[in-house]
Amino acid sequence: MTEGQQIIHDLSDLTCTNLMIRLKILLRKTPPGSAIEFMIRRDQKDTIEVPFSRTGYDVRINRIDINRYQVEMKKNDEGQQQ
Amino acid sequence: MTSHFFLLEAMVTQERLTWIEEVLKFYFLKLYPDTLLHHAKPTEVVFTFLITGDALYSLNEEDKLPIWEIILTLPSVKIILDRQELDLRGISIERLKMKNPEQVIDHNSMGLNGQTSFWKDVVKIARQNAEPLPSTIGYLQLESPYMHSSGLSTLRCLAAAIEVRASIDLYCYLDGVHLGHIHQNPIECQNIGKGLEELVDRAEQRGLQFQMLACGRCAAARGYSTWDDGKGITVSTCTIKPFRIRNLNVIIDQFERNHVILGKNVAYFKLKKSSSSSQYGTNDKDSAPTVTILITKSPYGTEHAFGALSFAVASAFQGIKTQVVFIEEGVYALTGTHHLGEGTQYFNLQEVIAAVAESENLHLYAYQPSLQQRRITKNKNMAAVLDIGKTELGQLLFHPSGGSQAGHQRVIFF
Repeated sequence: MTEGQQIIHDLSDLTCTNLMIRLKILLRKTPPGSAIEFMIRRDQKDTIEVPFSRTGYDVRINRIDINRYQVEMKKNDEGQQQ
Repeated sequence: MTSHFFLLEAMVTQERLTWIEEVLKFYFLKLYPDTLLHHAKPTEVVFTFLITGDALYSLNEEDKLPIWEIILTLPSVKIILDRQELDLRGISIERLKMKNPEQVIDHNSMGLNGQTSFWKDVVKIARQNAEPLPSTIGYLQLESPYMHSSGLSTLRCLAAAIEVRASIDLYCYLDGVHLGHIHQNPIECQNIGKGLEELVDRAEQRGLQFQMLACGRCAAARGYSTWDDGKGITVSTCTIKPFRIRNLNVIIDQFERNHVILGKNVAYFKLKKSSSSSQYGTNDKDSAPTVTILITKSPYGTEHAFGALSFAVASAFQGIKTQVVFIEEGVYALTGTHHLGEGTQYFNLQEVIAAVAESENLHLYAYQPSLQQRRITKNKNMAAVLDIGKTELGQLLFHPSGGSQAGHQRVIFF
């Protein structure tokens, strides 16, 4: 992997609760200002989109297939101050 | 009218009985001291202990009997015992009964089959507290059948619930998903799978509902999920027909309702509805009973602690006010610094605790007397898990933070 290349985690096998836990752990380990990227299913997207957007994260979602979404998530400025 | 109850089936340790005694003392001394006055009129039963299975041994053990005697000196406390299970184990409760004949009840109600049934007493009490009617009684099953007698207790409880005309919900979590395995064929005890299918028919005949929900994560881990549509519906070829494997969130949806949920070790505490209770401007989630999860087992030997925390996180994420108390052996989750090999995709329990500690609706607590008893201390990095003592535990159980319009609190032992 070259420097600066982002790891895209495939989290589509996780249940919604485990996904939330995994994301929180990944976000804690990510340096301030950096984003995490991951692939999820539609029902997982519905589960995480609102809770994270509401609590200080920028959430960008791209649909890449019928039931597959690529998500980029990072703490926004408001979230950084929390 | 019973206000609060404990349903205890697992072995009761001295430690557990002691903190239960302490929270009862908190209730009477701090919250309702008038009830302790000599001139106070005898009140209706406030606390009922429903005791079955191995928990019955505690009534005849030298180290626990004195604690039970103290508990029975408190006003308005009653113990209802499972006569059938007492007889099976050959346990004598005469000493306790002679001293407290009015408070120790060892004869159970009559079931429709003409035999006495402890579970009939349990569901009657659960139903007294149920609102609105017609009622539903839920049961959370965490253990597999046959290895554990709780599978049979579940069946008896659900059958009794149908007798009192309550609809029933069975929530299977962790090893509890094995209750729904197809083709069970025990030789020397009752067939749990068949028993559940019979209860479905019985409920239907009486115009009652019976839904069985099993956690998708737990079922997948145990090889039940043979087809997953990727949207939360899982079909299995190895479960009995009425069994539904669903995302944990679907089970948590049921916890947003106001019915009584029983289990192997649970408690139910009636709460005053918060003053903001109004038919207008009420968030639906505020009407869900607060859930308090007691993590009582060490973190890695079994799935209990991780399962409990996952359950709590799912509950909090869905907007239910959720309290987690690390107590008894559960405090081992908070001590030392846990390491899992580098590069693993899995996580240790302390990582999970640290990640979810600041979540909305979720509050984590460490019961200090359990740490002290083991002469261990909490990891300083676990600062988000708040230290509590006896008084604070009483407050959490009878005055959970944030208030609730549900009128009761669910306490589940993991």
